[in-house]
Amino acid sequence: MTRTRSIYALVMVIALAFPFVTPDPEFWVSSGGTRALWLGVAALSMSFLNRNLGLMSLGQLFFSGVAGYIVAITSVNHNIKFSTSVPIAIAAGTLSGVLVGYIALKTKGVYFFMLTLAVTLGLYSFANQAQEITRGHTGFNGIPHPIMFGLNFEDVNLLYYLFLLIAVVLFALCKFVERTSFGIALQGVRDNEDRMISMGYRVMPLKMIAFVFSAFIASIAGVMGVFYVTNISPDSVGLLRSIDLLVIVVVGGATYLGGAFVGAVLIAVFEAIIQDFTVYYVGATGILFIVVLLLAPQGLMGISAQIRARRAKLERATS
Amino acid sequence: MTRFIFTFLNGITLAGLYFLVASGLTLIFGLMRVINLAHGAFYLLGAYVSWTVADKTDNWILGAVASALTLAIIGTLLYIVFLRRFQYEELRVSLITLGIALVFAQAMLAIFGGEYYQTNIPEPLSFSVPIPGVGLSYPFFRIFVLLLAIVVGIALWIFIAMTRYGAIIRAGVDDTPMVSALGINVQAVFTSIFFLGSLLVGFAGAVGGTTNSFGMGTDGDFLLFSLQVVIIGGLGSIGGVAIGSFLVGVIGQFAVGYYPTFAGIITFAMLILVLAFRPQGILGKKL
Repeated sequence: MTRTRSIYALVMVIALAFPFVTPDPEFWVSSGGTRALWLGVAALSMSFLNRNLGLMSLGQLFFSGVAGYIVAITSVNHNIKFSTSVPIAIAAGTLSGVLVGYIALKTKGVYFFMLTLAVTLGLYSFANQAQEITRGHTGFNGIPHPIMFGLNFEDVNLLYYLFLLIAVVLFALCKFVERTSFGIALQGVRDNEDRMISMGYRVMPLKMIAFVFSAFIASIAGVMGVFYVTNISPDSVGLLRSIDLLVIVVVGGATYLGGAFVGAVLIAVFEAIIQDFTVYYVGATGILFIVVLLLAPQGLMGISAQIRARRAKLERATS
Repeated sequence: MTRFIFTFLNGITLAGLYFLVASGLTLIFGLMRVINLAHGAFYLLGAYVSWTVADKTDNWILGAVASALTLAIIGTLLYIVFLRRFQYEELRVSLITLGIALVFAQAMLAIFGGEYYQTNIPEPLSFSVPIPGVGLSYPFFRIFVLLLAIVVGIALWIFIAMTRYGAIIRAGVDDTPMVSALGINVQAVFTSIFFLGSLLVGFAGAVGGTTNSFGMGTDGDFLLFSLQVVIIGGLGSIGGVAIGSFLVGVIGQFAVGYYPTFAGIITFAMLILVLAFRPQGILGKKL
């Protein structure tokens, strides 16, 4: 426990000092740090579901997209203040989780994965077609940065610290939820749903609450995305972005909450660096993804456990 | 009325194309529980290959054969190299195919660029047939696609329902270890199904690349269509693909024709409606 705590403390120190110690801060604070925190929060909503329910969802981008588009539409078309639109957007994104969850949670495993992928692709095609609502392919550009408590978040460092705060709070919230009796019941459903049913648990509401909670996190990530890139278009919810998130979750380690952020940092740095060398960075990310899946299916966070398991197996074989 | 008839014809001929595309996906899933998420990329690659060959040789059939065989070989190789080892880890395999889709998409973009292409309709089939009672005509090639889909559908059905090989496949779906214990080389069956499924999608790419234009992003579109079709129809069932293609094709076209803004939502609402009552799809086996 103390070891985990010291790792957390170390990570926090690095994260807090990052804008001051990084080389070329103009580039790295935004394209490395802020971007990683945003993608990390989006990935966190996936990791939470996968870790506690054993469900790999590609629908998270749907919730992000709903929330993001609401913020964009209300602020650009109707001049509604963020203090009103952001809570509404997050609430709407979260509630859309009920609708998606109602269908998707009837399925499991690869079906669930496929269904949630179809949901996200559905939003993508809607965003492309419904020009009157979403402005079609171009989407919304030039969405203003938020100003809160007299602070203008156009400042890259301020935005970075805001995202860091959000990420830490949500990570802690996930950790807390996991330790409640609700969280433990969820892990029971993950490990043996039939047994939980025969023990008298109503499984569907449990799953639904977990799913909606993950939709809540994803909605926050959607709003963060709008504030970070200052635009939203169908590509923000497209197949490539879905895969990006999936790559982050898998590379970081899909059964660890921290994996979301480890993966996000790695992918943000990887893509930022590789963009200088090749225009084919999407393909390069794909290759990285395949290699990780082939060699380390538990991701980077799981490598030490994987090595330990292999060593134990070897020892058993020799003795 | 004319508009209605045209929309219906567009829908049902598109359904034919969807059937050709999605039958490979469902065939592979039915036996191996593997959802090949590179299916859309396979389709697009098939379209590019057939376009290239047909353009060079001026022979549509040669292009279609080339794309079907290319995809069959690529699909089988990918299966043997990347997927076979993890066959029983369904999610991991699907994720790997997604990575493959990403690499393929990027490679195709690098080779063919961002423009859109369309293969020429073969000369003998490039005419229009009059629609009785309306006084207008409809391109024959689109009707030809529907006929092709019906022929392929019947052939697949006969193959699976009536031949010894089909019986092995059906048995493999139900109980792989038992089939293997009976002395049948299940690995070879798996490989051949991947070959057949990829062959079909390669051929579908050649056909679809002639009726519709294709380019960057087509892979994602057709992945979505195929997923919708198999989710609605029920994964692993050829009959389900037929029903799913019909619904997605016809309703999709009516939605695009009459309510373009909400076209995506309407097809999607249909999917939700079906799943709310039958999570396994219309003809799918119980989950």
